[in-house]
Amino acid sequence: MSASQADVKDRIASVKNIAKITRAMEMVAAARLRRAEQRIEALRPYARAVRVMTRAAANAASSAEINSNPLLQRREKEERVALLLVTGDRGLAGAFNSQIIRAGLKAAADLREQGEEVAFFAVGRRGVSTLTFRKQEPLGAYTGFTDRPAYANAREVAEDLITAYVDGKVDRVELIYNSYVSALTQEVRRETLLPVQEATIWAAAGAEEDTSFSDADADEKPAAHALVEYEPSPEGILDRLIPDYVEISVFRALLESTASEHGARMTAMRNASENAGELIDDLTLEMNRARQAEITQEIMEVVAGAEGLS
Amino acid sequence: MARTTFPVEVLTPEGSVFASEVEMVSTRTETGSVGILANHQPLLGLLQPTELRLYTGESDYTRYAQGEGYVQVAEGRVLLLVEEAHTPDSLDVAELREKLTKAEKALSDAELGTAEFERAARDKRRWEAFIAVAEDSTVGH
Repeated sequence: MSASQADVKDRIASVKNIAKITRAMEMVAAARLRRAEQRIEALRPYARAVRVMTRAAANAASSAEINSNPLLQRREKEERVALLLVTGDRGLAGAFNSQIIRAGLKAAADLREQGEEVAFFAVGRRGVSTLTFRKQEPLGAYTGFTDRPAYANAREVAEDLITAYVDGKVDRVELIYNSYVSALTQEVRRETLLPVQEATIWAAAGAEEDTSFSDADADEKPAAHALVEYEPSPEGILDRLIPDYVEISVFRALLESTASEHGARMTAMRNASENAGELIDDLTLEMNRARQAEITQEIMEVVAGAEGLS
Repeated sequence: MARTTFPVEVLTPEGSVFASEVEMVSTRTETGSVGILANHQPLLGLLQPTELRLYTGESDYTRYAQGEGYVQVAEGRVLLLVEEAHTPDSLDVAELREKLTKAEKALSDAELGTAEFERAARDKRRWEAFIAVAEDSTVGH
């Protein structure tokens, strides 16, 4: 009897230790989530300014020149599609990594059914190792920065994709990542990165920059337009802005994925802590029962002994 | 005599790096080194990696290792949109040298005229400029 009481006590201690770890992980994830949210915010003014500039340069450039940009060309025959999967370096974040891998493998299966070839690119150790394990060796593997992606990381990924696209190794590039909705919700999103969807550059501009001074700036542009000096030329500037737009899109996806990862981990760890709490309650009850049974047993023995004497 | 000041903002994808009044901006565009003073005519230009200097006085200036980007002069304000802007003391020369070696290797492996080649050339230029800033040399100025 006393052995089982000690057993239960040991289990309670071990569950308490687990709860301590999960609670600490939850708190770390919460702090990192806040920082990741701030970094998404920090990107906004830059992205907005690049859009405003793109619009200004596009207004000044000849449309024939714009349309000849290789990144805007839709290939007539899209035979090889690149899928960029954005996962994390670490697990213990609920469905965060697995839902991306699942979506990626399903997308690949669908594309192959349509007779297209698929090449994987993966960000994050989880995605890279799963793809490698499944013999779907990624063409580009990027790891070690998903906790805190820098712009240079996004540039590396984007430039690999752009060069593969321009040099004709792939005909389309799609991006699959966890978009950040809130700490509790992350959505798997699939977007076409290349060719650049012209509509998204020009159209999205209006949606995001309602109150900024840069917008007022851009509206006044056409009037002051003739006076602006372009170095080298509006077309030359656009040739750089369009690939930068791809870099920014990748950077945003990396930042959102990081925020999603911390959010998912926070939720997963909170659930784990709650489960541990429930388990501790159950085990404490069990231990109390065992102790009570032991006491009852002892009293009965004493009473029986007393009765035997009298 | 102090020169007229004007507002300058340096924006990177990781946030605003500098936002204040200056007397002169010294940087580098595709066509060469430029110094922008107050009342400069409206400009939209491409920036090359270089040492960015923001002069707050005759000889007082803040230095940054500036990556590629854009400069916009409009309504008396200067906006520098750059991929990166690092203070010189935050640069790691050894790391930069390693990156430069990698870029040089990629450049010699790549075929002329491919996007791969262009990219390696850009990388090489960037790391060279950053090393120059880190070593406090005035190359490019």
